Amino acid sequence: MVLSRRSVVYMLLVSVLVLILSPFAWLAITAFKDASELRAVPIHWWPHHPSPGNFVKALTSWDYFGYARNSLTIATIYAVLATFASAWAGYGFARLEAPGKRVIFGVLLSTMMLPQVMTLVPTYLLFAKFHLINTYMPWVLWGLCGMPYLIFLFRQFFTNMPKELEEAAIVDGCGQMRIFWRIFLPQSWPVIATSLILSFSWTWGDWLAPALLLDTGRTTLAVQLATGYHNAHGGTLNNLVAAGTLVYVVPVLVLFLILQRGFVSGIATSGLK
Amino acid sequence: MSTGHLTVAAGPAVQSPAGAPATRPPRRRRSLATRRAWAFYAFAGPWVLGFLALTAYPLGYALWLSFTNSDGLSDNSRFVGLDNYKEVFSDPETLASLARTGVFTAMTVPLTIVAGLFLAVLVNQPIRGRGLIRTLLYLPAVVPPVGAAITFRMIFDRDSGAANGLLDLFNVNGLAWLADPYARWVLIVLTLWGVGNVMIISLAGLQDIPKELHEAARVDGASPWQSFTRITLPLLSPVIFFQVVTGIIASLQTFVPLLISLDPTPKGIGSVPESNSLFMIHVLDQYLLGGRYGYASALLWVLFLIIIAVTLIVFKLSKGAVFYSVEPERAKTKSRTIGGG
Repeated sequence: MVLSRRSVVYMLLVSVLVLILSPFAWLAITAFKDASELRAVPIHWWPHHPSPGNFVKALTSWDYFGYARNSLTIATIYAVLATFASAWAGYGFARLEAPGKRVIFGVLLSTMMLPQVMTLVPTYLLFAKFHLINTYMPWVLWGLCGMPYLIFLFRQFFTNMPKELEEAAIVDGCGQMRIFWRIFLPQSWPVIATSLILSFSWTWGDWLAPALLLDTGRTTLAVQLATGYHNAHGGTLNNLVAAGTLVYVVPVLVLFLILQRGFVSGIATSGLK
Repeated sequence: MSTGHLTVAAGPAVQSPAGAPATRPPRRRRSLATRRAWAFYAFAGPWVLGFLALTAYPLGYALWLSFTNSDGLSDNSRFVGLDNYKEVFSDPETLASLARTGVFTAMTVPLTIVAGLFLAVLVNQPIRGRGLIRTLLYLPAVVPPVGAAITFRMIFDRDSGAANGLLDLFNVNGLAWLADPYARWVLIVLTLWGVGNVMIISLAGLQDIPKELHEAARVDGASPWQSFTRITLPLLSPVIFFQVVTGIIASLQTFVPLLISLDPTPKGIGSVPESNSLFMIHVLDQYLLGGRYGYASALLWVLFLIIIAVTLIVFKLSKGAVFYSVEPERAKTKSRTIGGG
């Protein structure tokens, strides 16, 4: 009885794993096919003449690394600033009391429901007024404000920390800033890791904001990738798109795999209630 | 208190509330309270400022735009009253895209939640390598939307895609998946691919449920299914509810169809097949292709109000179905006392 149940679990898991991982496999297979194999009938399930040259072409047919640098710059700026700013605000919501706090927290929670696009286009007009279009300043500003979802994660984590930590520090004459900086922040590395991964990969993957705010030359890989590879007749070169996409996706996956231990426990300890 | 004798003062001060003179602690507490209040404003301040400048102001600006015929750039826009809103409810494309978005939401939200919960239960079993399995199942949720969209464009490509390759194995003619009417299935499959997100949150919820409850149920003769429906589901209901709300909000505003249909001409929005023309595609169409900022702002405000209304309805409907009263911590101590006695 127990054995059969366990084998059912394994069988289900294996089939789900195959289903979920197969898109990655197909992306990789496509990336290694040469142009003639792409049109093969019936379809080749495995590249007969694996051509790693696709990757060279994908990375050199336009300034791939330049766009990657743009993405990296924006994502790093935003991830670092937003993580710090969210921890900062999260600490206030978790450990301090003040008139109006509940109202402000209610507003914070309700902004999580707000469609991103809702504010993006009017914000675009606002940034245009201040000549911030085609600069990275919008990401600096967005980062400095923190992000409601991340503030909420930090707040949940800080709320669950023992009160004695803070009381001892207050008695020792520590100000709130030092308590935050010296005691709470160093303890919160799982949430910091979660926050860094989430905000980095959101910005790295964001299409709409850079498509609206940045010109073709300064934009990110996310924008350029989908439209960058085509032949003289305007046809899309799928094998190059696949190769370019793999190189674009892999850093995020690696980042996740390195930090995932902290990441998962960050989500778990912050509990979503 | 001076900062001079920090460590010396530390010992007695902790115990002082019990035996200290009556006048001093309240004064100290009050000054501490005001200091904490100011500290709170210092900590919450950056977000509040950012909210006012980058969320509240743009929202208000969009509301104002929605009463004008602005094209966003030139200055000769004028006030048109409720014209834009009247157009929203008479524009057939708006109503059709709204209906498509509703169908998409009604299909994908329950599917992802049920599938995610199912996977969470599976990877919560005591099996070998479950850490690795969890990570692998979560992986697609980390893939940037553009990357995911391109990947599925490859799979469902008419000539070189794996989907038609599979059909060919069964001697079925290939379909033009990325065109009408099949494109909507590509979108749904793509959405389901990110099920790991729901799985990981549900898993965290499952692990919060004290094991003793299930053990007690088993001792009392409950079947695994009874234990799941009577203990797991009720205790998990806040987590499920949270995901219903966030899932609905996310899918009402998705513009992923645009990413699937991006063509070599930059900002090519016109290429989204009709069956995938969700509400947000229509909005972006008006903004980017039509340059109709006033009308698009009205569309966005309507969507915003729909989101608020749907959320309120879900909250209303969930009353009685979601159990917030049982805190995991309290349940843990409770079951321990039961076990001990």
